[in-house]
Amino acid sequence: MKILLRALVTASIGLTLARAATPHAPAPHAQTLYTTTHPAMGTDFTLYLYASDPTVAATASEEVFDEIDRIEQLLSNYRDSSELSRINQNAATKPVTTDPEMLAFLQASEHWSRISDGAFDITVGRLMKSWGFFRHEGRIPTDAELSALRAVTGWQKVTLDPTNRTVSFTAPGIELDPGGIGKGFAVDAAVRILRADHITAALLSAGTSTLYALGAPPHKSGWRIVIPGPLPSKETLSTVILRDTSLSSADCSQKNFTLGGHLYCHIMDPQTMKPVEGRIQVSIINPSATASDALSNVIFVQSPEQSLATLRASAPGSHALIVSGTADHATCAAFQWQSPVNSAHCKL
Amino acid sequence: MNRRDFLHSASAAALASTTIARAATPAPKPIRLGVIGAGSRGQEDLRQFLRIPGVSIEAICDIYPPRYEQVNRLAGKQVPHTPDHKDFVARHDIDAVIIASPVGCHAEHVIAASNAGLPIYGEKALGFTVDDNHNILATITRNKTLFQIGHEYRYASWAQEAIRRIHAGDIGTPTHAYAYWHRNGNWRRSVPSPDPGGKLEHLINWRLYRETSGGLGTELGSHHIDMANWVFGEQPESVLGTNSIVRYHDGRTVGDNVQAIFNYSQGRRLVFSSITDNAKLGCEFWVYGTAGSVQITIEDAYIYYEKNVSNTPTADKQNSKTIVEHGVVTGASYSTQGEMPYRGPGEKIQAPDAEDPTFAAARSFIEAVRGEHPVFADVHCGFASAIASSVAHDAVFTETKTPIPKPRTT
Repeated sequence: MKILLRALVTASIGLTLARAATPHAPAPHAQTLYTTTHPAMGTDFTLYLYASDPTVAATASEEVFDEIDRIEQLLSNYRDSSELSRINQNAATKPVTTDPEMLAFLQASEHWSRISDGAFDITVGRLMKSWGFFRHEGRIPTDAELSALRAVTGWQKVTLDPTNRTVSFTAPGIELDPGGIGKGFAVDAAVRILRADHITAALLSAGTSTLYALGAPPHKSGWRIVIPGPLPSKETLSTVILRDTSLSSADCSQKNFTLGGHLYCHIMDPQTMKPVEGRIQVSIINPSATASDALSNVIFVQSPEQSLATLRASAPGSHALIVSGTADHATCAAFQWQSPVNSAHCKL
Repeated sequence: MNRRDFLHSASAAALASTTIARAATPAPKPIRLGVIGAGSRGQEDLRQFLRIPGVSIEAICDIYPPRYEQVNRLAGKQVPHTPDHKDFVARHDIDAVIIASPVGCHAEHVIAASNAGLPIYGEKALGFTVDDNHNILATITRNKTLFQIGHEYRYASWAQEAIRRIHAGDIGTPTHAYAYWHRNGNWRRSVPSPDPGGKLEHLINWRLYRETSGGLGTELGSHHIDMANWVFGEQPESVLGTNSIVRYHDGRTVGDNVQAIFNYSQGRRLVFSSITDNAKLGCEFWVYGTAGSVQITIEDAYIYYEKNVSNTPTADKQNSKTIVEHGVVTGASYSTQGEMPYRGPGEKIQAPDAEDPTFAAARSFIEAVRGEHPVFADVHCGFASAIASSVAHDAVFTETKTPIPKPRTT
């Protein structure tokens, strides 16, 4: 499960309440913070936006959530009628023609798989089901099962033809799982709606694991995002101020299962076909939410050394903080991380 | 062949063109599409059409310039555009047209495209006014235009199977349809600022104004009217309705909630409700019969059987004791159990696939343009629902029972 972030907007909310209490009418174009929440993609999306009146806020919110619902219908692997499910059902028997948006999604997925040498991979659908993460029913597959699953796992088994806009699988049984990138893709689409609506200050959070900070609250330089320390700590690991960029985080605190006293994380290492071990949490900042969402998986799966090399080579504009080890003995690795890190949690 | 038989045979033909059957066919004939009206619905139609092999988008017509770039992004290329539908239908590089303009423009756009000889995928409702619907029907019929109405639930496999079972008698005699389309949102679209004179407001939020929109009864209800028509095999005879603005006092002139009863022959009825401040019920269409109920949603369909069919006598078995030998045990007669709503599971209606209804409708239209089969949801289907929407548009304000005209005979 992606790490829980805390967007601190209390100061702004306090300002709103104080304004409401004053006997004077607000200035004609005073901006008020409005918050709306919408369930989608198996989580809650929360939109904080500044608008001049509640109708503008409600209309923009409705458009944003309509867009997120549209992307969910495009990408859901829980809905048989989604475009992704149509591809899963047919791409092994013939090339499936799809629309440019879906092709762009698949090309982005392929890109992050290629640059990470398969650390990111959306062909883990069957693998996730085998480990019982599809509907939260954790189990440990046998070695024979895992061996068989190698035939239906691997990003190279998906062939994209941009000229004819088709996707095909090289083997039957492959199932795409958009879990490592879909929310970021939805956030990017939603931010385009906000920009088209001329919203200048908003924070959109996809279940707190991927968020985008558009502009900044009035009289602020950006949106304040708090990255908590590794559980069970309730202290802060680092605080960042974001403006016109996204942040994605990953950890295992909310989607996992424990068997025989061992905690199994839902983030798979496609190389080992097993849940990642030894990573506590990661956070990464990138202007694209699609990229930050995918990269949060990449740097969770890869070793810190591999991650830093990947980021240097393929995402040099990113900023990342990687926490490994155990809560008692955590180590941190940073890539262009510009905010202070609480050394009580880990040493850089 | 009566109309119902034709619909069934067309449905069977559409279903017969399965993935397996198509896989054996050579490269499909290219179909170059144009679209009139590239707003939110038009763009969703375009996405679905672009998922069909051989289909490309070659031109758009819209009077709101921001749509051009939106379509370019969606299509992944620069698409020629024009604000003038007359220029658009005069093009020689499009094979078929999607018409997804505001309902008040449908008659002008559909008739122009039909007269230009273009096959048409027309979004619902067919027409805005009663006269619009008659004129569209007459033009399409006269020109023998290949026309498909955007009642995509006709193409949802679970809806087709549900209706087949209803017609087969699985829930006895269907007497009532209850349709809910409940949302929680203001139904607005953002309008750029400044907007002197509210011109953009009326252009973008045309659904909210009575002179350009039939409101919830048309934009949402026409789908359910069509489904009730499908169940009952005819269009409604009259409508009684009401509406009000209960929450969104924002200048709109159509109701933010609508209730209407559509009367069919033999006393059968469709009861339609749409509200916009509570989404508990969502979008669901119920058919109630004497032996059971069917629920059809945008993703699936379920059947529920009545606990007792009390009006169907059962004969005692031979060689078994009957009530005559046992006697009748007396006791308190009061029991509310039978009045409680059933909250248990139903039987999921098994469908051959779960294709998105709009994709299935788009695919079927393209197959029809290629000559593979006739149109299922044709202009008569569109007329039968739209004529009811058009009448209901005024009836929910007059709150009087209003007759719904049948197609004019020529």
